[in-house]
Amino acid sequence: MRPLLLSLLLAAAATAAQAQSDNLFIGNVQAVQDGKAVYDRTCTACHGPNAGAGERAPAIVSGAATAMRGERSDAQLLAVIRNGVPGTAMPAWKGRLSDTDILKLGAWLHALRGTALDNPLPGDPARGEAVFWGKGQCGTCHAIYGRGGGLGPDLSNIAAIRKSTAISDALTKVEHRVYGDGGVHLPMIPAMNYEPVHVVTKTGASLDGVMRNQDAWSIQFMDMGGTLHSFDRGELASVTIRPGSIMPTDYDKRLSPDEFRDLLAFLTRQGSRPGPRAAGVE
Amino acid sequence: MRPGFLLASGLLLACVTASAQPSSVSGIGNPGPSAPGEWTIYPGSYNSQRHSPLKQVTPANVGQLQVKWVYHVAGSRELEMTPVIHDGIMYIAQFNRMDAIDARTGNVVWRYQRPPLATEPYRGTSVYDNKVFLATSDAHLVALNAKTGGVVWDVPVEGGRRLSGMGPFVAKDKLIVGVLDQPDGYIQAYDPKTGKHLWTWHAIPRPEDPEFKTWSGNTREGGGAIWMSGSFDPEQNAIIWGTGQPNPPYSNEVREGDNLYSDTIAAIDVDTGKLKWHFQTTPHDQHDWDATSGTKVLFDAVYQGKPRKLLAQLDRNGFFYLLDRTNGKFVRGNPFIDDLNWATGLSPEGRPILKGDGAKPSLKGTLTCPSTAGATNWPSTTYSPETGWIYFHAVEGCGVNFRASVTPGAGTSYIESPEEAHRWVSHIRAMDPLTGKRMWDVTEVRSNHYGPGMLSTASGLLFAPSQYGQAEMLDARTGKRLWHFNTGDFITASPITYMLDGRQYFAIAAGTNIFVFGLPDAAKGGAK
Repeated sequence: MRPLLLSLLLAAAATAAQAQSDNLFIGNVQAVQDGKAVYDRTCTACHGPNAGAGERAPAIVSGAATAMRGERSDAQLLAVIRNGVPGTAMPAWKGRLSDTDILKLGAWLHALRGTALDNPLPGDPARGEAVFWGKGQCGTCHAIYGRGGGLGPDLSNIAAIRKSTAISDALTKVEHRVYGDGGVHLPMIPAMNYEPVHVVTKTGASLDGVMRNQDAWSIQFMDMGGTLHSFDRGELASVTIRPGSIMPTDYDKRLSPDEFRDLLAFLTRQGSRPGPRAAGVE
Repeated sequence: MRPGFLLASGLLLACVTASAQPSSVSGIGNPGPSAPGEWTIYPGSYNSQRHSPLKQVTPANVGQLQVKWVYHVAGSRELEMTPVIHDGIMYIAQFNRMDAIDARTGNVVWRYQRPPLATEPYRGTSVYDNKVFLATSDAHLVALNAKTGGVVWDVPVEGGRRLSGMGPFVAKDKLIVGVLDQPDGYIQAYDPKTGKHLWTWHAIPRPEDPEFKTWSGNTREGGGAIWMSGSFDPEQNAIIWGTGQPNPPYSNEVREGDNLYSDTIAAIDVDTGKLKWHFQTTPHDQHDWDATSGTKVLFDAVYQGKPRKLLAQLDRNGFFYLLDRTNGKFVRGNPFIDDLNWATGLSPEGRPILKGDGAKPSLKGTLTCPSTAGATNWPSTTYSPETGWIYFHAVEGCGVNFRASVTPGAGTSYIESPEEAHRWVSHIRAMDPLTGKRMWDVTEVRSNHYGPGMLSTASGLLFAPSQYGQAEMLDARTGKRLWHFNTGDFITASPITYMLDGRQYFAIAAGTNIFVFGLPDAAKGGAK
């Protein structure tokens, strides 16, 4: 099992906001683990590990799957599992698996598919917010709704776009970037990953900052004071980009266990779920 | 405006009967089939050198290159398509769709759309006998009148399976197409005049084929997808094609043996569809390393004192292969990437010598270099007879290949290695194919994956766009960057060049747009 998945299962232990589903196993850590076991002995041969596409059947949870077919609701996924897909190799599992196992499988897929808002981590979010602006010094580089610094990614809606495990990893692991699945092209040119950069201009000025973009002819970065720069490489005497991040990744050590737990509780709730498509001007 | 184009715009539809291009083909020295200044087939010429004799744009004036027009292929998605040019018209092929564009202005001349709109990768077409050809998502093959877009014929694919996104390829009055690997890939030939099926060659052998024995027992699941077109060698009367991986792709324990003709370069008699020779790049593959990568470059050279008829292949598995194209025998080879961990080299017959278990996918994940995405992939290489070098995109770095369980044949997946030292980095490289010597190496900025192909010109340019959207011209001798233009979207297609009204153009698909470049009016013909 990959570490990422393990963290995700722990994340799913949290109380999940699941008003829209009648699957009572959603958010139940033991049921989610049971669902993973059901998946591993029943589904991987076709759908691959972690429901991320296999040799004979498509991804259930990946971005590629969503892009191809649109996001399916939990109820729709359960219906597909129970009834199969006529005309394909996907059989009806109703009768082959107990309905309890099917619901647990649904709970595991839900945990895999959701973002942090679906699986927020336990703790006291209010105390976590105090840690964010105080001892954690997160606001030096990150902003939430206009408060804080601009050097790092804006976190106003972080729990709606990242999984709890990704947020936890960002605070504790040097290697925490979310990689693509390798075989799928990204749909757009990605932004940079905020690598620290040291630049010396031909006029002798020295600047430190965080990368925004670069190509073979130019470089864009924000200096530590928050000013954006774009240089032609010809103007620069040297450019040194250090792999990695200026962000510390030892928050589980520099904070007390309670502080760290509360910070995660805060971050994994920070944001709002997109509402239904509203009526209006087309 | 060219006379042929006037005829079309006059809607004198007698052009259905327009005379065919000569169906006789000439030798490699006169590569065919494109007329001077045109690009009528996916690789430009039968030998797939992708080297243009055009010289108007040179290393000296390329800095003035500017965008002439942009055509947005509305409804498409990250085009992997190489346009073709004939008689002043550019053809942009997709499944179910063809857009014909005035190659001088970018204005649409006609458009064919058979429902539904499809966005799966489709790589191009051929112009032949006043027709262009495309596959449909409901398993038909269609020929359109090149001047009007009218349907000339529309036939169901023999066998009923949908054709792959490989551009239909015309060689010796045969229209060559392919199908994917579920269950097994095959190449088919049709009569371009009528759509009549002529022959089918199966990439996975039938029981009567001697190579049937290269699959163990009853676990023969197939594979050998035909998803890229190849080359045509008139002297051997053969098309030379690459096939895809065996199935299941990563679990080779359920298919003992070499699993022919997967991951194979196959020379097939263009008249009969019979195999003349074959060379397998990755026997018993467990990493999905299709032998479809790059282009099957045909060239003649003096090697070790003897004139030889050669074939060059940069393979997805990280090795370069030089073959004798008259018999498929291995001549020489070398790794063209620095980070290769699954084999120690090639045997005298060109067979990879595995290191241990050859980086077998595992439950905990196996570091595999190159990754399954490949050291290179389908985007085109180019060969310049002027320098004698082959040019290509190479990706250094590794993948991690997992399997879902220890059950034989269990499903698997792979990711880019998360280790910084093994992250993917794209390079543009020039190599002497006769020695394997790396002549120069340009490390791309940010680009990390296969994507764009390239072409070279007789004036000494290398048009080598980068994955992250830069249309880029390099000096073919030195690799020096001479010009660039940011197209703003991924480039994952191969470029072409053509001559029209005395101006040389370069075209490349980026994202969902076709960008066309040329010199400013004042500089036109400035290559004195």
